[in-house]
Amino acid sequence: MSNAIDQTRRMLSLVTYLRERPGARVDEVARAFGVTEAELIGDLNVLPLCGTSFRGGDLLDIDTDGEHIWWHNPDTAEDVAQPLRLAADEATALLVAARAVANLPGLREGDRQALQRAAAKLEAAAGEAAGASGRLSVTFESEGSVFATVDRALTERRRLWMRYYSPARDTLTEREVDPIRLFAVGHTYVEGWCRLSEDMRTFRLDRVAEIRLLDAPSDPPRIEPRDLSQGLVQPSGDDPEVVIEVGPGGRWVAEYYPHDSAEEQPDGGLRITLRTPDPGSLRRLALRLGRDGRIVSPPDLADGAREAAVRALAAYGE
Amino acid sequence: MAIAKAERLMNLALCLMNTRRPVSKRELRASIEAYHEVTSDESFNRMFERDKDDLRELGLVIDTVESIDGEFGYLARRDRNRLPDIALDPEEAAALALAAKVWQQARLAEAASGALQKLRAAGVPYEDANSALEPRIPAPEPAFEALMLATRERRAVAFDYRKANAAHPEPRLLEPWALECWRGHWYVAGHDRDRGAVRVFRLSRITGRVKVRGGFTAEVPDHVDVRETVARWAGEGATAVTARIRLRRDSGYPLRARAVATTPVDAEWDELEVPYGHGLDAWLAEFGPDVVVLAPEELRADLLDRLRAVAKG
Repeated sequence: MSNAIDQTRRMLSLVTYLRERPGARVDEVARAFGVTEAELIGDLNVLPLCGTSFRGGDLLDIDTDGEHIWWHNPDTAEDVAQPLRLAADEATALLVAARAVANLPGLREGDRQALQRAAAKLEAAAGEAAGASGRLSVTFESEGSVFATVDRALTERRRLWMRYYSPARDTLTEREVDPIRLFAVGHTYVEGWCRLSEDMRTFRLDRVAEIRLLDAPSDPPRIEPRDLSQGLVQPSGDDPEVVIEVGPGGRWVAEYYPHDSAEEQPDGGLRITLRTPDPGSLRRLALRLGRDGRIVSPPDLADGAREAAVRALAAYGE
Repeated sequence: MAIAKAERLMNLALCLMNTRRPVSKRELRASIEAYHEVTSDESFNRMFERDKDDLRELGLVIDTVESIDGEFGYLARRDRNRLPDIALDPEEAAALALAAKVWQQARLAEAASGALQKLRAAGVPYEDANSALEPRIPAPEPAFEALMLATRERRAVAFDYRKANAAHPEPRLLEPWALECWRGHWYVAGHDRDRGAVRVFRLSRITGRVKVRGGFTAEVPDHVDVRETVARWAGEGATAVTARIRLRRDSGYPLRARAVATTPVDAEWDELEVPYGHGLDAWLAEFGPDVVVLAPEELRADLLDRLRAVAKG
């Protein structure tokens, strides 16, 4: 569902598009505009109510039989059907994204060059609207050689072997993975079917210690990919609950760990409640926090961290 | 039923684009049906101003011309609103289709789609972003949009900011120069008026609303490197100083990956020399009994301090 401004933007472009393409197909126009056919028909119902003259009359005579779109009086609207300049928001959105992706380490050279050429042409066409785009920048962290290997596996539909670091257990494990997609949100990840855990898994590229392309074909089961718009970590309601109390110096925990709640405490700290399928993975967090915070529950996790600290201190004679 | 806003905006845009002479507000009010529904002058004026702002956000350049009798007229000149010719080959078109899917921030995501629509209407071929690569730029921080606009329009901003380890937020006054997203978090750099110096802020630590406070006073440098500053806080800037640690065999892979030297000690332990940047003590604490700090003494003391706090529970 888009708002009035976005619909207006789309209808203005539609006028330009339709003028050049008499009898355009509804399905093709919807695809080119990135909307459903129903949304497009909604726009086509509004356009005939729009006039091009302040003197009245001259309504856009646009109609559709549900399959093709016809505009019967385009000559009354020559000035409104010209291609429209880009807004600052529009130029910024495309340019910042294109530059960010073009700088992804490991991206195929052909893809990088296409992005750079497209950005340069767009910048020239956008003129002053492009000016502010340089004030915004985005860096995706990636491991170039790992990225390139995964990318090749995806293209050639081949299985991957990797040695992967799991911070939760501080161990390296060997796995075979049938890759499905690469995605970047700050860091870059490969999602795929892990044959060791027999499940869909996400691997962060900078935690891949070693990677090889296997001759075996990639054969992941057909599973609907996860919707990542809700975040990378999506704890389930059945996962065990962990309560962490932090002082002001540990408030960053709430920025890094998705949580159910973070209650303000009188000392400026927070009481954070979160869910995780593997509470043991938070032992590291408890050790890192030091005097800035502590695990309240579950008790065995709190005990585990305490015991690890005692054992660590023993090495210094304490 | 009231006439939908999109229909009203569309009629206003078409009238302003299709005229060769400035059209007065009176004429526009008389000719656009949606404005007939507004009875008071005051609400019409408010609606008209908002509508013009909305169209400008879409990129329409609307000129205001004052006539001899003091009345204002408006028009969107053909030459000022035309997209210059742009010819993209299929690879370039596919590259932009990919770029258009990257933003997850509502305003820029819609703007990206709108840009692609304008380009396709102008003849850029339809190409799908057919790629197994999905880059995403999130910007869930509420302060993002206001700061983006202030950066673009060169406006100073006031906001409350809670430093990483502060109990309470403090008011700050900033001339924002640049926004940068690193590891999924947004930062803003600019001239901090109260401190008279360049400062970097993390957007997620801005509390409450961002308010505009007039124009810039300090000169904006050509290049603003936000990432370098942030990376240094994260302990990742280039550092010549190293620390010596003992690490249990087969553990601590990321430490090994960063080590400048690794020497086996016995069957159980290795000795590593690792870069000593900000936050190393906290990171080493995570490895518990698998790490022993040998030098420097300062790092050893910081680590022991952390471990003792955890051991006390």
